[in-house]
Amino acid sequence: MTTVIKYVGRTTDFKGKTLWEIVGNLKNLGVGRIIVRSVFERYPEPSFMKIVKVETCPDEERRRVRVWVEKTFRGRKLPGLTEIYRTSYKPDYKLIPKHEESKLLTSVTNEHYFPEVILPNTIEMPPLMKKFIIKDHEKKGLELMKNLVMPLSYNNSPNRVQRIAKPGEQPTVEFTMSLGKPASPSLYEGVLHK
Amino acid sequence: MISQNVFLKRSWPMLVQCAEAHRKPRWLPVAKSKIYRIPKRPVVSEEERLELLRINNNYKTQMRAIRRFYYEEMIKEKSTKESASSEMSIRLEAEDWARCVELNEKWNAEVAAEREERRKIQLAEMEEYALAHMEVKDRELKERIEKATKEIKRQKELSETFITPENLDEAIEYAIANPTDYNYAIDLRGKKYVGTETPGSLPKDEKRTNSSV
Repeated sequence: MTTVIKYVGRTTDFKGKTLWEIVGNLKNLGVGRIIVRSVFERYPEPSFMKIVKVETCPDEERRRVRVWVEKTFRGRKLPGLTEIYRTSYKPDYKLIPKHEESKLLTSVTNEHYFPEVILPNTIEMPPLMKKFIIKDHEKKGLELMKNLVMPLSYNNSPNRVQRIAKPGEQPTVEFTMSLGKPASPSLYEGVLHK
Repeated sequence: MISQNVFLKRSWPMLVQCAEAHRKPRWLPVAKSKIYRIPKRPVVSEEERLELLRINNNYKTQMRAIRRFYYEEMIKEKSTKESASSEMSIRLEAEDWARCVELNEKWNAEVAAEREERRKIQLAEMEEYALAHMEVKDRELKERIEKATKEIKRQKELSETFITPENLDEAIEYAIANPTDYNYAIDLRGKKYVGTETPGSLPKDEKRTNSSV
């Protein structure tokens, strides 16, 4: 008899099993094995996680499990352990067979496929805001700002692959208020663009 | 003002459609006919995806910077306003404080005088009460002592008739010599009716055996 799978609801980007489905069936709860989030496989650099410690959850949280992993994200090993609990229910994990582990481990080069990116700390103001601020400062009698730039803030994440410029460092990319350089110029064919 | 003619001479039917009218209420489950329908995923070409990602990321960065700029400005403005008004407010607050302290001290003095008076009256009352109480207690004690001395005197007088080890034999002999017979009845006038057979006259040993049986 062939079982016919009938899908219900929306499609998903996830592919794989929940973490408990993997870890619960392994010897010693899979400590020492390597797992992969299939969402992170979109990056050309290898991303994987080595299980270090597993804690099971009470019956009320039957889809979850608390796992500590040594995380390698985009070819770079993160310092310390990372806890996976909130995302452990996502059916997006994949177990790496033992004979493929060494291949994955040797593919780590600590380098990205692109040259290092240094993010700027400031951004130019939008044109209307510039005019508004100049007027506003005149009205209030404050001294005029010399360079009309705003500070930029970035989210803190250990997964960041691009570096934020230290003071005095020259950023390699620049954010502007204009359209910028298109990533795919073919879309702009025949469009007049200053 | 909208004139009436707008409604009367309209060229298109005035029908306002509600988008919600066609919708399933949110609390209803998926319709039976729609359970196994899987919505198609929008197909976005790689070029377009990359460009949209870049543009959206740019937009988010720009907006974050603007938001942060105005947030910081707001905080700066607030702090300057506070510091400017603080010099004035400190003086005003100090004056207000001094006034409050003065008023409070005045009230305290008034209340203290009142309390002193009340305390004096209360003290006098308490003294009076205590003195009266002591007097009563004294009197009671004296009465009790008197009563006791009277009782002692009576008992002393009575003690001459007590039976002591010295005159025990005498008393026994007296009792044997004068047997008393209580086995009688009296009527309302107090007349005695002596019984014909008096158990007191019976020998003692026989009586004891009878009673024990």
